[in-house]
Amino acid sequence: MKLRRWLASGALALVMALGCLVGSASFRAEEVSILMPSSFTDASAELVKNFNREHRGRIHLNLIRGPLTTESISDLAISSLLLGDAPFDALLMDVTWLPKYAAAGWLEPLDPWFDQADQEQLVEGARLGNDYDGHLYRWPLVADVGLLYWRTDLMKEPPKTPDELVSVAGQLVQTNAVANGFVWQGRQYEGLSCDFLEVLQGFGGEWMDTTTNTMQLDTPEATGAAAWLNDLISAGVSPYAVTNYAESESLQAFKSGDAALMRNWPYAWAELQKDDSNVKGNVGISLMVAQPGERPGATLGSWGLSLMRQSSHQEAAVEAIRYLTNEASQRTRFLNNGYSPTQANLFSDPEMLKSSPVLPELQVALNHAIVRPPTPLYAQLSDVVQRELNGLFTETGSADEAMATSQQRSQTLLRAAGATP
Amino acid sequence: MTVLLAVPALLLIAVVFGWPMLRYAWLSFHADSVLTGLEPVANGGANWIRLAVDQRFWLDAGQTARFALISVGMELLLALAIALLLHQSWRGRGAVRALTLLPWALPTTMMALGWRWIFNTPYGPIEVLARTIGLDSLDLLSTPSITWLVTVFADVWKTTPFITLILLAGLQSIPDDLYSAFRLEGGTPLQALRRVTLPLLLPYILLSLLFRLAQAFGVFDLVQVLTGGGPAGSTESIALYAYLNGMRFLDFGYSATVMLAGFLLLTALILAGTLVLKTFGVLRPLDR
Repeated sequence: MKLRRWLASGALALVMALGCLVGSASFRAEEVSILMPSSFTDASAELVKNFNREHRGRIHLNLIRGPLTTESISDLAISSLLLGDAPFDALLMDVTWLPKYAAAGWLEPLDPWFDQADQEQLVEGARLGNDYDGHLYRWPLVADVGLLYWRTDLMKEPPKTPDELVSVAGQLVQTNAVANGFVWQGRQYEGLSCDFLEVLQGFGGEWMDTTTNTMQLDTPEATGAAAWLNDLISAGVSPYAVTNYAESESLQAFKSGDAALMRNWPYAWAELQKDDSNVKGNVGISLMVAQPGERPGATLGSWGLSLMRQSSHQEAAVEAIRYLTNEASQRTRFLNNGYSPTQANLFSDPEMLKSSPVLPELQVALNHAIVRPPTPLYAQLSDVVQRELNGLFTETGSADEAMATSQQRSQTLLRAAGATP
Repeated sequence: MTVLLAVPALLLIAVVFGWPMLRYAWLSFHADSVLTGLEPVANGGANWIRLAVDQRFWLDAGQTARFALISVGMELLLALAIALLLHQSWRGRGAVRALTLLPWALPTTMMALGWRWIFNTPYGPIEVLARTIGLDSLDLLSTPSITWLVTVFADVWKTTPFITLILLAGLQSIPDDLYSAFRLEGGTPLQALRRVTLPLLLPYILLSLLFRLAQAFGVFDLVQVLTGGGPAGSTESIALYAYLNGMRFLDFGYSATVMLAGFLLLTALILAGTLVLKTFGVLRPLDR
């Protein structure tokens, strides 16, 4: 008798406990996690707070603060995706990752959620680099393109052609008006590929013909572009140290007033207007130089949000993606952190223009955006070019040889991977 | 019975060492990349054929061997000198012993970041120092013929204490009586080093060589942080190349092939080294 009563009360307690668990689960908000590089999580903290206030009880958004550099965050994301149970529902992706991630089957197409009307609101450059194989896999968070920064106190207008750049910068160095003419990214890393693509476009060449999957690196245009970069260093227009410069080293040299021209991303503008900058108020932005008659190019380097296929909160994650990329969020991020907007109408917005008078130039650059070869094998192809170009700058050898080797190694890679007949 | 006692240890080795090696060997005969949807597809010996004609792999293998042999050689000589010094008794020896271990206690990545800053052009302290005494820019991290020496330097700085520690332990195991007897027979200190210390220290030297060679041949973190394999690929190691193929290019079949080939090369290197030492009779003291 005693035992039975004891059992009954035990069972009742168990049922109550289970009920509580189930009840609380149904009342608890859906958890959505997004992995981003630390600079972006820091810039989005306020937005996340607002999102969670507006969606209280429904969705709880949590940003995972990843490492700062592009390569580290890619390693982190890939490691967890390979293990199969990534702790994030969406990921902030660099433009070059997309084909690789999409081909690996890690991404969920966003076509059901974003339509043509959404696309048309974007500035031209922001529409690129979001698709793979006919599907939309990424929605842009910031628009980023390579720019040519120039010193308004040292020249009347920025150089437009490669020859002009050499003569203007060379003269400034020779007359000791400035220590270095033109600083850019010559280190063996992805930044070098971005710089090269811009010059290549300006010389009328292209990296890869994606319709036939053939490399175009040993054309006269490509060889000319590589030779021009190499000559910048040997002629003293660029310091030899650029062969080990990434973005931050270039910025440091330009910001301290030691350079007349710099190739960098839009984020540098806000840096150069700070009080510790020696060139504050003396900086203009323009496009990378191009041969007469050729269209200048600006390498697209944007970040955007992608939905993970294995996420079990896809609807909620898309709601978060929409919120973080909407007009108000773009405005906040631009005014507080200097991240370029993606929506076309914001480039002529009075409040935005007051904060940064170079927005129109930025829009022009975005209309000249060019993408790096959109293939899953891009990382390999870029690695070949980085290595050969950096070798050209730091060792003896000709641009012809370097580009012929790049061409041959790239073709071998494509063939080994079965991507070309 | 004695064999039975070894079973747990053998099982452990099979699980943590044997299984991954077998898996690598299996993977090296498969295409497993983004283009196969990350599913392994048998491709005969295509990876190995690709490796055989992959100039970059052989270049990296040469660079890795050069790095390993030179840095371990220098570490051994330095460590021997330091260990002999630290074995003598003098005031403050304890504190110095602790201090010499410091580089070894630092995480490699932190140390590599530090060197990267120290050697950077144009704002690093070395560069500034060179400029103040009127030298041209050194460009230590962007000159292919020099940068690999910087990686050797950083490695020697960091791991000499490890060998010192092993050799110091070895020195302490040599009984003082042997030296007294040797002195009594009229031997000089230099002869004592050659006839007593070195032969008795040999097992420790070989042990540290083996440890360090295997470690240096697999160098990754130091190079990844200090140079990223540049300039112009002149500091890229086999491990870095395997990592690039796996994590950056998502080509796991070829990555496994590169890693396995690196392992085979290391084994060959150590076998060849043993053979040379045997031929010259260096290993004879071990036979007793």
